[in-house]
Amino acid sequence: MADVALSGSALNQPRLARRMGGDAGIAWLLALPAILAYLAMILLPLLAVLALAFTDYEFGARSFHWIGLANFADMLSDRTFAASIRNTVIYCLFVAPLSIGIALGLAVLIEAGSRGKALYRAVFFLPVVSLTVAMATAWQYLLHPSIGPVNALLRMVGAGTPNWLGSSDWVIVSLGFIGVWENVGFNLVLFLAGLTAIPRELYAASEIDGARSGWSKFWLVTWPMLGPTMLFVIIITMTRSIRVFDTVQTLTQGGPNNASEVLLRTIYQEGFHYFKFGYSAAITLVFLVIVLGLMLIQTRLIDRRVHYG
Amino acid sequence: MTKDIVTKDMRISRRHTLTVMGGAAVSVAMPSVVRAQAAEIQVHYSMPAIFKEAQDAVMEAFTKKHPEVRATYVNPTPTYEDGAQLLLRNAATNSMPEVSFQGLNRLRMFAERGVAVDLSPLLATEGDLAKLGYSPAILGLGFHAKVQCGLPFATSNPISYYNATLLRRAGLDPSRFPTTWDQVIADAQKVRALGDGNEGMFFRWPGDDWMFSALLYGHGGRMLNEAETDVAFNGAEGLAALRLLDRMVKEGGMPNFAGTADLQAFSAGKLGMMFRTTAQVRSIANSVGSNFELGTTVMPVIDAQKGRLPTGGAGAMITTKDPRKQEAAWKFVKFATSAEGTTLMVKNTGYVPCNQLAIDDPRYLGDFYTANPLFQAATKQVHLMVPWYAFPGQNSVRVTQVMVDNLARIAEQKATPEAVLADMATEVRRLIPRQG
Repeated sequence: MADVALSGSALNQPRLARRMGGDAGIAWLLALPAILAYLAMILLPLLAVLALAFTDYEFGARSFHWIGLANFADMLSDRTFAASIRNTVIYCLFVAPLSIGIALGLAVLIEAGSRGKALYRAVFFLPVVSLTVAMATAWQYLLHPSIGPVNALLRMVGAGTPNWLGSSDWVIVSLGFIGVWENVGFNLVLFLAGLTAIPRELYAASEIDGARSGWSKFWLVTWPMLGPTMLFVIIITMTRSIRVFDTVQTLTQGGPNNASEVLLRTIYQEGFHYFKFGYSAAITLVFLVIVLGLMLIQTRLIDRRVHYG
Repeated sequence: MTKDIVTKDMRISRRHTLTVMGGAAVSVAMPSVVRAQAAEIQVHYSMPAIFKEAQDAVMEAFTKKHPEVRATYVNPTPTYEDGAQLLLRNAATNSMPEVSFQGLNRLRMFAERGVAVDLSPLLATEGDLAKLGYSPAILGLGFHAKVQCGLPFATSNPISYYNATLLRRAGLDPSRFPTTWDQVIADAQKVRALGDGNEGMFFRWPGDDWMFSALLYGHGGRMLNEAETDVAFNGAEGLAALRLLDRMVKEGGMPNFAGTADLQAFSAGKLGMMFRTTAQVRSIANSVGSNFELGTTVMPVIDAQKGRLPTGGAGAMITTKDPRKQEAAWKFVKFATSAEGTTLMVKNTGYVPCNQLAIDDPRYLGDFYTANPLFQAATKQVHLMVPWYAFPGQNSVRVTQVMVDNLARIAEQKATPEAVLADMATEVRRLIPRQG
């Protein structure tokens, strides 16, 4: 039976392949839905954004003009755009290292522990699966300057009570803390997966070679073996923190005086609040270039040092 | 697989054909009915959280009164902003609802872009407008860019909210609420002196320029000059407005609440006095519940002669240029803004009535205000209401953000009122259209 079925399909396949223009033809045919979806959902909108960035098109306007690089020139003197770039950079530099470091530490601790692994994983993963906008409301209450529990605690120990979300000196740090809280769980799970993939023998071998302390085991085995995971986590965390939007929009609306304005919110604000689609598209392009650039740098630089076991 | 799709397609097309045939049969059989019922219009509004009940009530009453018009609502948009976007999007594809309720300060943009139809010819057919309750002041709220682009449907003005329980604890008499800002600041200090995180006052300056304009208009100032060619807020009135805000922070200890932190502090009973729109009376009363005794009253007076207050809220505009649809749309707008429509709106929202008949004649709303005293504060200020200024040109919304950003510098005590006023004037000047 099996023989018959095999020979049958073996006979049919070349005939079909020939009719469709060989194996390559079939491959294209099978890939066609994905290619169409990619064209319609990603490439064409991207090209539209690219075209819009060189126009002065306003939402609802009946016409538009090609204005060359004027949108990009406007950015150079735009106070809001400058603030938004600066804040996004600060936010990323704050959130990425902290959330990666804390997640790695926690992952190593959880992995080394003997009990409650599932519980810890669930507890730290909770922020990732919860709805950010709903959680932002909880944060708003926690960080409230006069009725918030955080400041109530600080008042009890006699420390200063900053206006976490209302002061331009603190707001980006406060949003950063929320960002770290959001990202740690996600990174933790990735690190845990990376840790379980490290062969146990390596630890045994390193012990024989004289790596006795926990630190030297970590530094000589865990750290290099975690390289590929680390690369992935860094890229994911950077792109996630560059894309920060919902906490800013719900908690501070970019204020006070642009102190928490971030790139994605500027794009949203220009496009959907001021209806400046052309300018918004231009900022989107800048945003895309930054994200792509980051990815390139990271993959090129770090890839060279990553040890694929 | 392929066969399935084909049959499904055929099924759809068969059903489609049937519907078309059915429709054709009906129109052949009863041509006169079809023609009479042809006046179908679609109506759009924003903020269903506030307006749904009112709009449903208006629609029900309208359908009873005008069975010849088939009006339906399109999906309401969550905010005025979304509402404006929807209409602009629809304008681009020629699929606008015939009637739309928009934020009063956005009507100007729709007038300038030729989306809102001039209502003057329609109003002209109605004869004596005073008899319909359209006073010049009410019409003025929908008059922009030399066009009667809308009629106000729901209006609001800023009022004072207070926590009577907390004021009493601070040794103050809530029944004699301050009528001047000096007194407000003095009382705020007394509430703050209670300690334990209690705050005296909050003036809701963030969000947009609305509450700042209350301070500016209160001093008798204006945003731009008459010809709208240059800023006018950078004079003595504007400086006085900013100095007052500065004093609220310096002397009144006004905290820099972000987002809705002021509402949270107030509901928690930790804020003595709060100044913001009357539109929130209902929701604030709900969230306060029986935590403490809530009171509302008129705004403190700045200049008894020249002082005015800005008007927020929504207005109805007509978008269709088709005369038959326009007639039906006008019937709906006229009803929604009539004494009857405004009464339904007030009872279901707590906004200020915008039909003079409903304001003057106690038969419409007398009982309602006796039963709901919290809503009275805003109605006592109706004679002070002037339009919420909508800046001309393409940057009208951005101007409000520039103002808020600069006000934040005073709230944070990072700049003096003089410096802020100068910067605000320079930045706004750059955003208004250059004329002549």
